[in-house]
Amino acid sequence: MSLTLTLDFQYKTTIEKLWSALTDPSKLAKWVLNNDFKPEVGHQFQFRGEANQYWDGIINCEVLVVDEVQRVLSYTTAVGPEKHTVTWSIQDLGDGSVNLHLEQTGISNEQALNGAKWGVTQWCRELANLLEQ
Amino acid sequence: MSDNNPLRDPFDAIADPTRRKLIRILAEPREIPLHELTAQFDIGRTAVSKHLAILKEAGLVLDRKVGRETRFRLNAAPLREVHDWLSFYQKFWTMNLITLGQLLEEDEEQ
Repeated sequence: MSLTLTLDFQYKTTIEKLWSALTDPSKLAKWVLNNDFKPEVGHQFQFRGEANQYWDGIINCEVLVVDEVQRVLSYTTAVGPEKHTVTWSIQDLGDGSVNLHLEQTGISNEQALNGAKWGVTQWCRELANLLEQ
Repeated sequence: MSDNNPLRDPFDAIADPTRRKLIRILAEPREIPLHELTAQFDIGRTAVSKHLAILKEAGLVLDRKVGRETRFRLNAAPLREVHDWLSFYQKFWTMNLITLGQLLEEDEEQ
């Protein structure tokens, strides 16, 4: 089973500025993570966070869509066996504000409960049962 | 996210096998006193109490004094967060998108 996360945020700004925040690597670094993003389809890049016990801190990505006219940007994000697609779209609300829409697809429950990551596979099964009670 | 704003991440709380066993035992629909819990472990009363305190901080265990004894029961709600990976990403992006809003505001002021 795969899940989708959607979020909508409104900002008092222009489409151009928001697009720049999504596609300029130095700006992206300020609100997501350090990266070597380029707005080119097929470009492979990484977001680099802080490593911890469970994770080397790296998100491996590949650009899928850069549509400057429709203002749609999409890339894959992979951490270990979890591979998702993140799609951003921008819409002018006409009152000096713009809507930023995020869609993250491919979030799998199976892998979410991945024991390799947390060492709790069996535990999570029990947990699922527990939550159904 | 749970409403009672726990001090400790539920992910932390379930990282330990003793605490997972405690949760399993407490999943019974009744309040269980400490001595009854301790009886099911090889470790001492103090050690069990410490684990219970951690579960309490994560909002996973509720306790109530009855006379001279404290009785414990499970509050499974925070476990949903662990169960639901979606909430991790939701938190991640919500935090980032708030930061983005601040950046855009600073941009306007310049």
